[in-house]
Amino acid sequence: MIVVRARGLVQRFGDRVALGPLDLELAAGERLAVLGGNGAGKTTLLRLLATVVRPAAGRLELFGLDATRQRERLRARLGYVGHQLGLYPALTAFENLEFFARLYGLGRGEARTALEVVGLSGAAGRRLEQLSRGQQQRLALARSVLHDPELLILDEPDASLDAEGRDLLATLFEGRSVVMATHDLALARELCGRALLLRSGRDAGHCGRLRPPEDRPRVPRAIGRWGPATEAEGTSPSAWPPAVRIGEARGVSPR
Amino acid sequence: MAVAGKDLRCELRGKELLPALAQFVVLSLVIASFAFDLDSSSGPRLSPGILWLVLVFAGLLAFGRTFAAERDTGSLEAMLLTPAGPSAVFAGKALAATVLLVACEAVLLPAMAVFLASPISPAVVATVLLATVGMASLGCLFAALAAQTRARELLLPVLTLPLWIPFVVVGGRAVQVAMSGGGFGAWSPVGQPYAVLLDFDILFLVVTSLAARFVLDD
Repeated sequence: MIVVRARGLVQRFGDRVALGPLDLELAAGERLAVLGGNGAGKTTLLRLLATVVRPAAGRLELFGLDATRQRERLRARLGYVGHQLGLYPALTAFENLEFFARLYGLGRGEARTALEVVGLSGAAGRRLEQLSRGQQQRLALARSVLHDPELLILDEPDASLDAEGRDLLATLFEGRSVVMATHDLALARELCGRALLLRSGRDAGHCGRLRPPEDRPRVPRAIGRWGPATEAEGTSPSAWPPAVRIGEARGVSPR
Repeated sequence: MAVAGKDLRCELRGKELLPALAQFVVLSLVIASFAFDLDSSSGPRLSPGILWLVLVFAGLLAFGRTFAAERDTGSLEAMLLTPAGPSAVFAGKALAATVLLVACEAVLLPAMAVFLASPISPAVVATVLLATVGMASLGCLFAALAAQTRARELLLPVLTLPLWIPFVVVGGRAVQVAMSGGGFGAWSPVGQPYAVLLDFDILFLVVTSLAARFVLDD
């Protein structure tokens, strides 16, 4: 089953084309990492896929339904975490989840379970403003999976997460289709089977397939502008996955 | 109800709006009593006008924050991505804003009796409550619209005040009649103000509910 099908997807901000035209397909259970530099259009693509905004042109189908016209029917099947957490500082961790659970037609039990999954049971009674940024990110992730969505759309979900929190992502991704924007190539390779490299809002030539984990060379977690953070940590560009080599081919060479 | 309950809980915890509104109301009445040099005879005569002026500006303060904070934190987006739908989200937020404005009126009306010697009767309270419903639904709709712009503080009064005029005209007349001794049965020369206010409420509740989905959801 095709979960995401985009044809000629375009988004404009005023006269500026922020994304596209872009074609994209994602099958059920597939995980796609959206890579690219700042302003490449990653967030714009994710907001379109999450039905937060409508495309300026092109066609977007999610689960076979028109994402522009039938988005209210689709939303129960999507989980989305954007740049902003979308939580309430005055409410406790549990109250935040309980509130969203009610909007999804769920009960307190689901809210409690989601808190357990992200390892925040001990902080259930603490207000959002009393949680660390990483814990807040975990809570936002808990909100996104509260209703057991089939498609997860996450914008830099690893932001502020510790190593354990990043392992949590793998748990949350199990059995779901995922589209995830990240600057962390190592994380993308760890969690996703495919990568889409965006440059200036366009698919940079190829929607690449990442190597399976056992074939992957060791790549440092921190990648700056598609290159290793330090020479000592790096690997040769030829050993990098396809998405990175595409970037290099188009003039974004690793440092 | 979940949205309204959440908004009220956040306000009770944060105590950001209510204390400021109460302070604004009392200070406005103190300024009015000095500015108009009110005494026991002129106070009740000018009270209806002062009441609506204070109520209108308190409303702008209250509704201005209804959507702005949600937009800034991204929580409005998160709510709209649930199956609850924009109309339900709007209804919940309008209900919470109405409750906050009623709480503000609970300070305003007794304060008017104290500072302006205004005769506060059940007819006055009923008029103000009836007007609050329609004003809140309109105020919330325009607050949602204004929250999407940078100049939200300027845009909200510009959009809202013209459409609040009917409430001020009819409500002002009704309060005038009520304060001069007329009860629920005393109608002003322009018609039946309570029935007119009720009609306005129904009209604006329907219109704003229908418009909310277009304003909130992209």
